[in-house]
Amino acid sequence: MIAQRLANNGARRVLDTLVAEGVDVAFGYPGGAIMPLYDALYGHDLRHILVRHEQAAVFAAGAYARSTGRVGVCMATSGPGATNLVTGLLDAMMDSVPVVAITGQVKTHLMGTDGFQEADVAAVTQAITKYNLVVRDVSEIEPTIHKAFTLARGPRPGPVLVDIPRDILEAKISGTPAPQDGPTIANAVRESFRQRFPAQAEEIARAVEMIRAAKKPLAIVGGGCRAADAFAEYRAFCALLGLPHAATINGLGAPTPGDPHFLGMLGMHGWKAANRAVMEADCILALGMRFDDRVTGRVDRFAKQAQIIHVDIDRSEFHKIIPAQATIHADLRSALDALTAALAPNPPRFDAWAKSAASHGGPLPRDRAKPGMMSATDVLDHFFATAPPATYVATDVGQHQMWAAQRSRPLDPHHFITSAGLGTMGFGLPAAIGTQIANPEATVVAICGDGGFQMTLHELATLRRYSLPVKILIIDNRNLGMVRQWQQLFFDARYSATNLSDNPDFCALAHAYGVHAESIDRLNDLQPALERFFATNEATLLHCACYPEENVWPMIPAGAAIDEGIESLAGESLEV
Amino acid sequence: MNRTFQTRDGRLVARLILLAHRFGCDYTELAVTRNAAVFSVSIDFVGNAEALRRLDAQISKLLDYEKEIA
Ligand SMILES: Cc1ncc(C[n+]2csc(CCOP(=O)(O)OP(=O)(O)O)c2C)c(N)n1
Repeated sequence: MIAQRLANNGARRVLDTLVAEGVDVAFGYPGGAIMPLYDALYGHDLRHILVRHEQAAVFAAGAYARSTGRVGVCMATSGPGATNLVTGLLDAMMDSVPVVAITGQVKTHLMGTDGFQEADVAAVTQAITKYNLVVRDVSEIEPTIHKAFTLARGPRPGPVLVDIPRDILEAKISGTPAPQDGPTIANAVRESFRQRFPAQAEEIARAVEMIRAAKKPLAIVGGGCRAADAFAEYRAFCALLGLPHAATINGLGAPTPGDPHFLGMLGMHGWKAANRAVMEADCILALGMRFDDRVTGRVDRFAKQAQIIHVDIDRSEFHKIIPAQATIHADLRSALDALTAALAPNPPRFDAWAKSAASHGGPLPRDRAKPGMMSATDVLDHFFATAPPATYVATDVGQHQMWAAQRSRPLDPHHFITSAGLGTMGFGLPAAIGTQIANPEATVVAICGDGGFQMTLHELATLRRYSLPVKILIIDNRNLGMVRQWQQLFFDARYSATNLSDNPDFCALAHAYGVHAESIDRLNDLQPALERFFATNEATLLHCACYPEENVWPMIPAGAAIDEGIESLAGESLEV
Repeated sequence: MNRTFQTRDGRLVARLILLAHRFGCDYTELAVTRNAAVFSVSIDFVGNAEALRRLDAQISKLLDYEKEIA
């Protein structure tokens, strides 16, 4: 009976098709409508990671994808299980992350009857996924899952949901799914996009002309570089021209670590040199980035001196926010290869301008902590100085995220994992779990605020269950720090609902889950604690009790131009 | 702005109308006919020129998804 159940039903077909797509692990949580799938998982080759909340499953799948370039897979039951995926699906959508979510649905005859745990998940997720597909017949399972993977992978990646009613999971089916060939492997898929979306000669010629005419060109690299796995080409292109360059938060890791021409992250909490270069540049090469409002500040004042060359695989990004004088609709690798080839015989060099742009940087401005208290920026400075270069950092959302983004110099774009477009608190720990599962030998750290950590801290149980050596750094300022900062600056210091001075004992919580933890509150104790943190091979939590009122500087206030940054509470303007 | 297209996914019509509202646009005329599995759709959208331009780009993108999996 059991053997028969495993051998030939829709649920088994789902799993076999996932394996045929090259999936090695799925993150999920069981429940009524998806029970046949969990039954088929019992003894199946596909690895399943049980999280403690479906939101963690989709965040982990997203991080698996961000850290590898492969599709991340999650699964949940109907109704509440499926709706718990919503935030993570939108998170993947905003950052163009390839995720496939499989949801169980009530039986077909119950659909539309307000059945127990019924949700019209296709309607709910229509606007927050690239696409969703509802399976209506067992014979459609295999082609539907292949379609989901095709769409998730690109050309611009994103999340796709497949909803499968329980009776379809239980239905009999014969045969086995055809194994997929080359194109199911991530690299081969990217290669196929390169071939399908080559840079057009006229578009390249126009861009080359503009680059040659420019005196002060600046490259801005975004998340497209990770999606296209184009960082080697990006580095070669910048090196060829001696080009100054800046990154959006999703573009971090694209530049060669230590490249002196890299001006840092730009935008609301970006480096002064990067923001200033935007205002001074006469030509901007926007490479796989989408001019998010956190990047541009006031749009009508953004890069007023510059001609814009916009490269993207998604045509709908062109002229969406910032009009471009030239566009290149192509896979970023193809575009960069073509630009490099066209410029290489006689490359213009921009070293003097790059040097001048970098010279306006200076150290990051920072608040002074009260005597005797540890500052979060000190903690993160030491952290990044101590972390091995190949460390994967997953952050949560808030001040600590911005401080980390300012300081991090990741090995490549797969090594800095953050919820950028959606800014989703609770992302950090589940993202570190997905990253560690995908990269079992790697050092993986979740940097979390005390607020965001409490949104998904139950995933400590997942660390314990699978013996994952994830390291957690908690920057505890006993506040919802980023919101507190805005209240201090823009709401007359009326601190409404941001005080977390009654935080729990984070070490006791970790211990309750069987995770090693220690707490420090003095700078003198930091370095030895960090050494221990990186030396251990087990899950560990380092709780850093920090000065509660430290702010993130510089800051471009919302609605202000990118040259209207402030760098201290007194509101002193940056001299841009 | 008129968009006339064919799709196998009738739900797309609902998606586009919601999207138009999101962009501060509206629709004034909608015609759908179905022949076997294919819907022929024509929608007239109205709104601010810039919003219509962005809506147009998004519609093309959504229609492309279907081509990817055809
Ligand atoms: C799910 C979610 N809810 C609310 C917010 C709004 N928000 C942005 S940052 C922030 C404060 C984060 O506090 P904490 O996790 O302690 O980090 P800190 O800013 O102090 O570093 C809040 C509430 C959000 N980004 N995500």
